[in-house]
Amino acid sequence: MLTVFIDFNSPASYLAFEPTLQLVKRLGTELRWKPFRTTLQPIPEKVPNESQGQSHRRVRALARERTHTHYAKLQGIELKFPVAPSRTDLALGVLAQCSKDPENFIRKAFYAYWHDHFDLNDADIVREIIEQCENIGDINIAQALDSLESAQKFAENACIIDAPAYMIGEQLFIGREHLPWIEEILLSTKTDSSRNLE
Amino acid sequence: MEVIKSDAPLIVYVDVKSPYAFVSIKPTLELEKELGVEFDWRPLTLDIPSYLGSAEKRGGKVIRSEGRSQTAWNTIRYSYRDARRYAERQGYILKGTEKIWDTSIASIAILWVRQTARSRLSNFFEVVYPAFWRRELDVEDISVVENCLEKAGVSSQGFREFESGDGRTLHDNLQKQFHAKGIYGVPTYVIGDEVFFGREHLPYLRWHLKGRVGPTPDIAYEI
Repeated sequence: MLTVFIDFNSPASYLAFEPTLQLVKRLGTELRWKPFRTTLQPIPEKVPNESQGQSHRRVRALARERTHTHYAKLQGIELKFPVAPSRTDLALGVLAQCSKDPENFIRKAFYAYWHDHFDLNDADIVREIIEQCENIGDINIAQALDSLESAQKFAENACIIDAPAYMIGEQLFIGREHLPWIEEILLSTKTDSSRNLE
Repeated sequence: MEVIKSDAPLIVYVDVKSPYAFVSIKPTLELEKELGVEFDWRPLTLDIPSYLGSAEKRGGKVIRSEGRSQTAWNTIRYSYRDARRYAERQGYILKGTEKIWDTSIASIAILWVRQTARSRLSNFFEVVYPAFWRRELDVEDISVVENCLEKAGVSSQGFREFESGDGRTLHDNLQKQFHAKGIYGVPTYVIGDEVFFGREHLPYLRWHLKGRVGPTPDIAYEI
């Protein structure tokens, strides 16, 4: 079982979505998507008399945006960075409630945020996305924020600090760059299970 | 020296005190060997307190911490754990540092090796990095760095003058240019006018340097 924590406003989560799905489908692994509210990271404005630290943070934020855009193109995704990132708590709360297959909901929520800049904290917008999805289980939007809070506590207790975060057994990996190691663990688990059946 | 210009196909910026740079050295050297080319290895001496606050540990316990939030601590702890597991896969030991080191002498030594014995650069990395991360090397002591040069088969004759003269000037001039060119950490790779931070870009860099044949790879830590 692989558990993946994501936030809809995290470009790294968006870019990890399809590669992660491809991996688990290829290996036939059980996958669980969980919400994790990341810290909003707007690109700092250049200020007069910028300190070394301020300059470092601004340059780093710009570089990250460039890198995400570079790799998004490879996946055929046109990332449109909003002027300022916004919270997606309501949609994350819905994800926490999904008892069936959330794949469609996640895909549509990412698209809504990154292509249309929709407010995923707006109940009408989130409801509309839910209506376009089938088989995600019973959702209670009024309870979504509470669902997110308990999911967030669970994630923080598991030492999650950013998204996408992959939990597999005792190991925690942050970022899709770890997929080769994650694949190795999944394959070894599979081999062990097959041996136990023999 | 201009930060993003080189005659080599790839510029690589590293700093001995970065655990991520440590675990990038081996795979980057392997890529260099695989391609049969010479990369342009250069130093970037991180000014960690300016963006992550500072701290000092003794006997594994934090005895001083300034300007570090809980989030910063959690991120640092994860980063070390993460780098450690990859270092172990490479056959190395990675112990968390007990203070933030001034690694400028070791950085200037990289410039020295480039200039006087380029073919020994990988030896120098192998002498310095693993020992530093086993906490066996005081890289703030110039005689320790001189000893590393000799161990790597590089003459240290003249290094002391270079460290306090031309080498220091070259090093300091480089440091001033980084942010303006979008460079902020290590390892950083510069290919043409593209700048990439992190060894997760090695698959892309390999693909690019091999003539961009086949599908473009995504980021990955190769194992």
